[in-house]
Amino acid sequence: MIPRRHRVTKKELSGKGQLSGEDERLLIQRVKAGDQKAFEAIFNHYVSRVYRQAFKLVGNEADAEDVVQEVFLLVYRKAKLFLGKSEFSTWLYRLTANVALTKLRQRKKDKVVSLDDYMPKFRRDGHHLIRPVVDWTQDIDKFVAVKEFNQIIQQAMDQLSPMDKAVVMMSDMEDMPNPEISETLGITVQAVKARLHRARLFLRGRLTDHLGYSPT
Amino acid sequence: MVKKAQVMRVNPKKVDTCKQATSLILDYLTGELDSKTKRAFEEHLMVCPDCVSFLNSYKETIKFTLSLSYEDIPSEMKKRIRRFLRDNIG
Ligand SMILES: [Zn+2]
Repeated sequence: MIPRRHRVTKKELSGKGQLSGEDERLLIQRVKAGDQKAFEAIFNHYVSRVYRQAFKLVGNEADAEDVVQEVFLLVYRKAKLFLGKSEFSTWLYRLTANVALTKLRQRKKDKVVSLDDYMPKFRRDGHHLIRPVVDWTQDIDKFVAVKEFNQIIQQAMDQLSPMDKAVVMMSDMEDMPNPEISETLGITVQAVKARLHRARLFLRGRLTDHLGYSPT
Repeated sequence: MVKKAQVMRVNPKKVDTCKQATSLILDYLTGELDSKTKRAFEEHLMVCPDCVSFLNSYKETIKFTLSLSYEDIPSEMKKRIRRFLRDNIG
């Protein structure tokens, strides 16, 4: 049943400003009933967020556009599957993550990089293989480094498996706690931690290597 | 026996090697080590400059990842998607 008293306001339609929980709930009820104006309001409100999330995972505009299209098509067609047990934004976040991961998995790998080459290595007695380990954080020119390092990290992120990439993105870019990442991706917290640690070691290894030091 | 060894590796009360120390970094940074293990980890850092360097670069890497920034959705793209959706729903 569509509540009559709720009309889509200009503010909601433009996507500007905040949407109260109640307004959002009513809008979603109307989307479920096939109301296109309500759908447009939801689209306008969330499209930037969905795009940024998609872009972080797929890494380019064209694929991010495909993901956004697919996500909102699903929102319209599958709105009934949203039962309101979680926040709509959480449901949408998970939906976007799934669509983006599927997109990443379809991608052909052109070059497989061995993560192992960038992992720390240890001697038999458990100490670092190559010593001293250089603390490059002391002497990098932060200003120059940020831009350059961002590029290296971006490239390195693209070499991670889709799942590893999603874990790093959620943890280190979006500051999401591990239990929430675990729920979003359907893997255990232990698996989240293992993937996160390995991925960070790899990214660290790539940066270290870029600076001319041994990543191990 | 195997089980015990695994538990030991996850949560050692002594941190004798850099390999052990490295495996604890993630939990150390999120404050998830129990107090004994945390102390053992920090004691290792006091005697091992290599692990201090490693920890610093690990933390710095996280900072760089956090600082990656992204553009907002191009307005042309937003229009295209809106058109696409209008044509494909209803
Ligand atoms: Zn050490």
